[in-house]
Amino acid sequence: MTINSTPAPRTQDSKSTGAGRLLIAVYGIFALAASARAGFQIASKFSEAPVAYLLSAFAGLVYIAATVSLAKKGAFWFRAAAVAVGVELLGVLVVGALSLFDARVFPQETVWSLFGRGYGFVPLLLPILGLIWLYRHRAPAQTA
Amino acid sequence: MTVDGWFIASLVVGLISSLICVVAALLKKGPNDVTLLSVVAVELFLLSYLVASIVRTATGVQPAGAAWEFWAYLITAISLPVAGFYWAILDRAFWSNYVLAAVGLTIVVMMARMAQIWYGMATLALGT
Repeated sequence: MTINSTPAPRTQDSKSTGAGRLLIAVYGIFALAASARAGFQIASKFSEAPVAYLLSAFAGLVYIAATVSLAKKGAFWFRAAAVAVGVELLGVLVVGALSLFDARVFPQETVWSLFGRGYGFVPLLLPILGLIWLYRHRAPAQTA
Repeated sequence: MTVDGWFIASLVVGLISSLICVVAALLKKGPNDVTLLSVVAVELFLLSYLVASIVRTATGVQPAGAAWEFWAYLITAISLPVAGFYWAILDRAFWSNYVLAAVGLTIVVMMARMAQIWYGMATLALGT
């Protein structure tokens, strides 16, 4: 049996199709996991580690922004996706490094602690794959 | 965490479903009866876990951790196969089978978390 899908031309909007669907799904799962976890941490034991839990909440927001902007079409959402995924990469690198060297500020686990070890390092891999995916679907260079 | 029969069952059902979906995707097949039904099997497992958890709670057994966290995990887990199924019938491309494969793996991870909440774990003292 054949699935007659002629390869769609790589445009900015095609970032939401094909493998992009899987990317959106995984981002959606992480948006859910990180936000729910942060909500639980802040609701039940905020005073234990306020910095870590606020970062958890921030990570949740970044994942939500990335999920939405990856799914939406148009030049604005393409830029928004690049910014969200870029912030995510920066976040996992900075928080990963800080949790390694300054365990006092990050006594509790967040999604990005130790470069996302608690989540099988998927949080470290995801923004890299996301940026590669976006780069391959960027708009052709325009003169003007 | 304590590994119980429920977790082992989820491991078997979830991983087999994910494996079926990945193989189908590698063969460039779109979502079909086999991959969709494997996700239905995951959902049926979760529903039986829901019923069993309600029965366990009704007979006075309570989770060691926060009860509402346990139920939030369970309700989220139950909605995941539904969302994946819906997505897969909307988009028949082979990539949807990878999305379906993600469902089984996510359920196994969430079942591990639910087992931790139910039985409690050494590192987490939640003083309920």
